[in-house]
Amino acid sequence: MSALTAAMVIVGITLPIFGAVQLLGAVPMGLLGYRYRVRVLLAAAVAGGVIAFLLAGLGGFIAMCQCVYIGGLTGVVRRRGHGMPLLTVLGVICSAIIAAMAVGALTLLHRMRTLLFDALRASLEGLFKMIGNIPHLEAVGVNATNAIDFAMRNWMWFIGGIVFTFVLLNTMFGWWVLSRVIRRLAVIPDVHQLDPPAVAGAVGPVPARLHDVRFRYPRSESDALAPLSMNIEVGEHVAITGPNGSGKSTLMRILAGREPTSGQIERPGSVGLGAIGGTAIVMQHPESQVLGTKVADDVVWGLPADHEVDIDGLLREVGLEGMGEHSTSSLSGGELQRLAVASALAREPALLVADEITSMVDPQGRQDLLGVISRLTAQHRMSLVHITHFQSEAAAADRGVALRAVNGKTARTAIQTVPVPTTTAALPHAESPVVLEFDSVGHEYASGTPWAKTALRDVSLTVHEGDGVLIHGGNGSGKSTFAWIAAGLTKPTTGQCLLDGKPVSDQVGAVAISFQAARLQLLRSRVDYEIASAAGFSRRDTDRVVRALASVGLDADLAKRPIDQLSGGQMRRVVLAGLLARSPRALILDEPLAGLDAESQAGLLRLLIDLRERGRLTVVVISHDFDGMQDLCPRTVHLQSGVLLPESVGSGSRS
Amino acid sequence: MTNTRAQRRPVVLLRPVPGTSPIHELWAGTKLLAVFLISVLLTLFPTWTAIGAVAALVILTAWLARIPRGAVPTIPIWLVALVIGGSLTVFFSGGPPFWHIGGLTIGFHGVLAVARTTAVAAVLLGTGAMVSWTTNVSEIAPAVAVLGRPLKVLGIPVDERAATLALALRSFPMLSDEFRMLIAARRLRPPQVRDGRRGFRWITEVVDLLTAAITAALRRASEMGDAITARGGTGQIAAHPARPGLRDAIALSLVIAVGTAVVLFEVL
Repeated sequence: MSALTAAMVIVGITLPIFGAVQLLGAVPMGLLGYRYRVRVLLAAAVAGGVIAFLLAGLGGFIAMCQCVYIGGLTGVVRRRGHGMPLLTVLGVICSAIIAAMAVGALTLLHRMRTLLFDALRASLEGLFKMIGNIPHLEAVGVNATNAIDFAMRNWMWFIGGIVFTFVLLNTMFGWWVLSRVIRRLAVIPDVHQLDPPAVAGAVGPVPARLHDVRFRYPRSESDALAPLSMNIEVGEHVAITGPNGSGKSTLMRILAGREPTSGQIERPGSVGLGAIGGTAIVMQHPESQVLGTKVADDVVWGLPADHEVDIDGLLREVGLEGMGEHSTSSLSGGELQRLAVASALAREPALLVADEITSMVDPQGRQDLLGVISRLTAQHRMSLVHITHFQSEAAAADRGVALRAVNGKTARTAIQTVPVPTTTAALPHAESPVVLEFDSVGHEYASGTPWAKTALRDVSLTVHEGDGVLIHGGNGSGKSTFAWIAAGLTKPTTGQCLLDGKPVSDQVGAVAISFQAARLQLLRSRVDYEIASAAGFSRRDTDRVVRALASVGLDADLAKRPIDQLSGGQMRRVVLAGLLARSPRALILDEPLAGLDAESQAGLLRLLIDLRERGRLTVVVISHDFDGMQDLCPRTVHLQSGVLLPESVGSGSRS
Repeated sequence: MTNTRAQRRPVVLLRPVPGTSPIHELWAGTKLLAVFLISVLLTLFPTWTAIGAVAALVILTAWLARIPRGAVPTIPIWLVALVIGGSLTVFFSGGPPFWHIGGLTIGFHGVLAVARTTAVAAVLLGTGAMVSWTTNVSEIAPAVAVLGRPLKVLGIPVDERAATLALALRSFPMLSDEFRMLIAARRLRPPQVRDGRRGFRWITEVVDLLTAAITAALRRASEMGDAITARGGTGQIAAHPARPGLRDAIALSLVIAVGTAVVLFEVL
């Protein structure tokens, strides 16, 4: 959060024209003040202050302090349920104090004051003298000089007054924006899954015996986990499989120490979440698992100060030998997950729970990760519970437990509400007009600096109308750069990317792009507003909204739904609905299936295939995965270290 | 056939220049302290002597750290225009010292004041950049933890604060990536058909963007919160925390010596 604020502050400082943006840095801080205790705000203030000092010196630090003050005051007033009147009173008092502090500081720093006033006076006087040279405005020059002299003589009151007014106005502005943002954020569900263990005592998570364990979330009408009886013995590798909505993640939470609604769990001691010899958990999202900036730092992150671990040995075990000094931001998804396993092993856990750890990792990374996982129980005295929705991944386990879907749960995952008819394919012909053309495109980031990095080299590719092309590449292959160039968002450093013969960077928006993080592309509060905004029509045009929703197989009932109440699959479809309503020349999809469960993946693929075949939409998919893409993309090109390898044609007869 | 376009060099911060040097190997805490001392010095004494001394230190550091010219970002043309345009008026303000050029007499008092303010800002940015370009982000939080140790006496949870800082630095690149994507998503939209009062449209736009950014950040935060809980809370943050050595003592003495010399020169 404070990183977000710092990002805004730095934007505010480097771009003086957008002075307003710096004010907005107070909003995230205000949200912290609103949602959490003052301690959290202080922690964010320290972190933000140090980063701001690093980025922009004392000025950045002071700007950050201002954001914290405004955010803190407005957020806390809001949390306590008070309104504008109290804020005005407090704002006036605080602004007066800050103004007095500013005047006090300038009184002490008399050299700095003299210099600043000299510079200020010179600029103003010069300006007014210039104005004074204009005929009929001679009087302005003289009067202005006198006024400046007067102001400088009574600088305490002038500077104090200016600071007071400025701070007070900023506070009011911060309050205003914060109130609007908080109203919007009220519907955001809390997605956190784990709670810190309440009970302490001797740690001993295994052997665990579950008797008729059932779980229902508060305010929910049905069970999330059907009655389950199973044992987890010391040193065994258990695979838990089941469809979506069968309670796999709920079981993970129960193993992590959450009390079941009914039934019992017998354990020899406490769960000891994260404790030495306790329970360790590796979760789904690779990026958020890893907390250190350096690989070796992450292995020890959070360990008690006196606990020594064999970092090199652990890294060797997960196949990251010698990478201890690497930055974690340069690792691929698979490497990050293996690092998370190493960090879990640093706690010598008696029980390791791996919850869908391969679902966001490319096939090669998945193989490596599964290799590491399957060896664990042989090399350590620990039990392993591997939760997965891939039946194939369960093979390495000693024993498998299949969860069945809880009744009534299946309806929740059903996205498809309107059937999308399938029609026979119109074969793309070589004679179809060329839509996108990459003409020896190369791109280098930060050219000319010591950090220069080549992302693409001499890439040439032609995409015809109605084509489906899969750009396949691993981590760091330059595929994201490719997507940004194709959408016109990035101008390549060499060569050019043409859309219908004209540079695509001059026609931003003509090529639609769907990013991997769908939420970032949904800017409005409700589905109908979002689609209207993305497609560029009025939000009152309900017919077009309904038509757009139908085109991606979503029901019209969804139109008034707040964005943050949608599932991941629905979000992606709403993005598509907005993009397609503009009838783009081509559609670029960056990792369209990532983060979706198997069912939503299949549904989305069916929809895309239909759009391409029936609507003759040109589709370019950027992915590290082949699975199921053959029908959508008859053509596959491989990108490796920024170079395009010779292309292959899909297994089908279409060519 | 390849024609390379002249590209602006971007501002790169919080990433060390590749390679190593005596400056790269300094303890991060030393560099932070030095920058802090220099900031205080220039705030108290924004004189040409102090500016010159600090500029000399920055140039010495840049030479020792082998920072190439290319690290300095391209100054955008509009900023140059703004500075020059802004300073033009200063020439008319007059005041001693006077220069006589031909028949014209120009007072340089105002010009010098503006030049000095700009120089202070530039030199301070330079000192910050030296830290930014020679320090690995992972070293900053442990160094702050060590520097803040005396504050523990006052009951300030220094280690917890350092852990927050480490997490903020870790999430900084992720969040700025998300921010970049958000702006891109905004750029891709067609002209908006907006209903409602005209003056308030931009604020609705800003609230929308902020909400999207904060939502993404909140999701990220709760995932990272889970990861922290799964590790049993905070604790160690660095595998091999660096310690200051002889090199650091020399560097810090040099900064203090230069600072003291400037102060003595100014006061006496």
